Amino acid sequence: MQCLAKEASNCKFSGRSFFMSLMIGFLLLSSGFKKEEHLNMYSLTGLAQGTTYHISYYAPTSKITKVQIDSIINKIDSSMSVYKPYSLISAFNKAQTRVTMDYHFKKVIEKSLEISKKSNGAFDITVYPLVSAWGFGPVKTKNLPDSNQIKSILENVGYQHLKIKDNQLLKDKPSVKIDVNGIAQGYSVDLIASFLEGKGIHRFIVELGGELIVKGKKPKNEFFKVGIEAVNAEDFSPVKKYIEIDRGAVTTSGSYRKFHQAGGKKVNHLIDPKTGYYLQNELISVTIYAKNAITADGFDNVLMGLGLKKAMSFLAKEKDLEAYLVYTENGVVKDTCSAGFPKIQKF
Amino acid sequence: MKRRSFIQKSSLLAGGVLLQNEVAKAIEADDIKIKIAVIGCGDRGTGLMKVLQTMPQWFKITAICDVLDFRLENAKRISEDATIEIYKDYNTLLRSKDVDAVIIATTLSEHFKIAKAALISNKHIYLEKAMTYNIPQALELVKLKEKHPNQVLQVGHQYRYTPLYFKIKDMIKKGYLGKVTQVDCRWDRNNNWRRPVPSPDLERQVNWRMYKEFSGGLAAELLSHQIDFINWAFDTHPTQIMATGGIDNYKDGRETFDNVQVLFRYEKEDMIGNFGSTLSNEHDGYLFKIKGTKGMVSMLVNDAVFYPEKRAIKELQTVDGVTGATKIEWNKEGGVPIVADKEKGGSWYCLKDFYRCISKNIEPTSNVLTGATTAFCVHLANEAMYTKTLQSWKPEFNVFG
Repeated sequence: MQCLAKEASNCKFSGRSFFMSLMIGFLLLSSGFKKEEHLNMYSLTGLAQGTTYHISYYAPTSKITKVQIDSIINKIDSSMSVYKPYSLISAFNKAQTRVTMDYHFKKVIEKSLEISKKSNGAFDITVYPLVSAWGFGPVKTKNLPDSNQIKSILENVGYQHLKIKDNQLLKDKPSVKIDVNGIAQGYSVDLIASFLEGKGIHRFIVELGGELIVKGKKPKNEFFKVGIEAVNAEDFSPVKKYIEIDRGAVTTSGSYRKFHQAGGKKVNHLIDPKTGYYLQNELISVTIYAKNAITADGFDNVLMGLGLKKAMSFLAKEKDLEAYLVYTENGVVKDTCSAGFPKIQKF
Repeated sequence: MKRRSFIQKSSLLAGGVLLQNEVAKAIEADDIKIKIAVIGCGDRGTGLMKVLQTMPQWFKITAICDVLDFRLENAKRISEDATIEIYKDYNTLLRSKDVDAVIIATTLSEHFKIAKAALISNKHIYLEKAMTYNIPQALELVKLKEKHPNQVLQVGHQYRYTPLYFKIKDMIKKGYLGKVTQVDCRWDRNNNWRRPVPSPDLERQVNWRMYKEFSGGLAAELLSHQIDFINWAFDTHPTQIMATGGIDNYKDGRETFDNVQVLFRYEKEDMIGNFGSTLSNEHDGYLFKIKGTKGMVSMLVNDAVFYPEKRAIKELQTVDGVTGATKIEWNKEGGVPIVADKEKGGSWYCLKDFYRCISKNIEPTSNVLTGATTAFCVHLANEAMYTKTLQSWKPEFNVFG
């Protein structure tokens, strides 16, 4: 492990205000003004977006129900799941020119286009026809696309084909199709987090499909421990590395598990919207730490696509992103991280 | 060295040890194909032929041998090679200059004498499981192999070569299952296990599995795979052997049991192994479960799932959340699928390694010693069920020394 910064306190989100609040908290506690209220841990788990979610929070009493969480997820699914034929996104993909967006859809599209511009098209939701052609869409394909097919699909790929006008999402060609899988999970995590906050919960972790957000600390002033999945060990092995945080979102993108065998090759699910082919570089996984999950989720794939060197220089310019990267060098698995990434600890 | 000069050179060398060393060297130097013969062209023999045909860079099938004409014709058709040598007598085949290695996929009763003859003829051997029909043959083959150190003798216990099973062995070794106390195996079918017979006088030769004179029955043909895997994964062997069985459903003149249950006690491991097979119900089909204090692994031929015990799940969840690219999915029963390369069938991995062992002159993972150990287990199980007695491991079975 080669980390540019050893101290967790270098983290971008642990700034002065955090230090101040700690000091105030300490003063209050030591002067006996405030006793820590008795907090119980509550957990909720369920199925969502082809994966699972886990919520843990600390509060004096139970404040939310699974039904409430599931209805939030259903709302997002009926808006943005390409697996649901009735969803708004499916309607857009079938539409000739436009659809009227709902609140959530608009939020996600706006963020998607922002990340596309910032990443110079490395993140692009119009990648959907390519993802489908490579067999990672709702319909499984048997044959891999040839270079001619890729070429013709690429004519419909590019975020420039999309425009937002008021509450409408427009496309300049009927064959432009979008897939927000690379970002919607992050948005769902943020949405659930804000629901929890609205219910007066201030110490929680919300995780959906390996993407998560943390707020506050556990009782006894403990940080939330977030494990980083091992990329090459046995699939069932306990997590060996973790970070401790009390705020911020963590997401991971990687080529190490989701792939299929085709034509004697391992095709992974990360498709480069520019070349039309799946990514092949030294990066195995990228774990992002950011203020919110939609940002982290949007940028993890961007960094995967950049490759190690470019990813590191991209990170140097992005103040709000920190990352931990796992890569191979001459067949050896190595890792590194940006200066502000929380300190990686080992069990 | 080109293939032609290699042949010329090797035929000049009369000494067996020298000859096989020369084969190994030549293969390594020039990537020469191994000339391989298939002795016994039934389902298994021809099945292996088809696998060999997918490896033309390593093997060329130069000869086939079987005592039955219709099998030879079938094998010849599969070979699609007009120049293939055809033999009805394996001894004649073994004299062929165009054979470096043999696959022995005959009835179990023939394994030993053909393997012995092949060793003496300086051929490399891929010997189907179980290695031998009985204990004395296994012991003799071990002794004979000592005199032929430069020949490869690989036994066809293919789990030792399947990536999934390899991974599970590793799991056991790393302690993911905790202390293992029980192993449950089944290999069940719901049919009479008979093959169609072209003419009634071939009944015993075609349906040799039904007759004690040729076959070790279900224990040898099916359960030996799982028995061998446990021997390998735990580096052990049973010490007490109990078994029962009978001809419980197919009263059609067969001699081997159609319903068997074998119970092994592994004293060194403090472990019990249950191995069962019936031909009268296939609901369980193939079942292979290894149960430890921390979890159980449930294996199928190509898939496996790890089910941690509740206590172990707690240990696994020492963090509040886990970030991962494509999160590990626990299935509905609380298990984690174990992912391993399953692009090829088990036989492919075996034969690939057979090539590697010959070309690099190394000892196979499934060798004469491990093959003998499993052959002892099978024989003891059959003894126990046929004679209704408790059997014990004897010191002379410790072939590893």
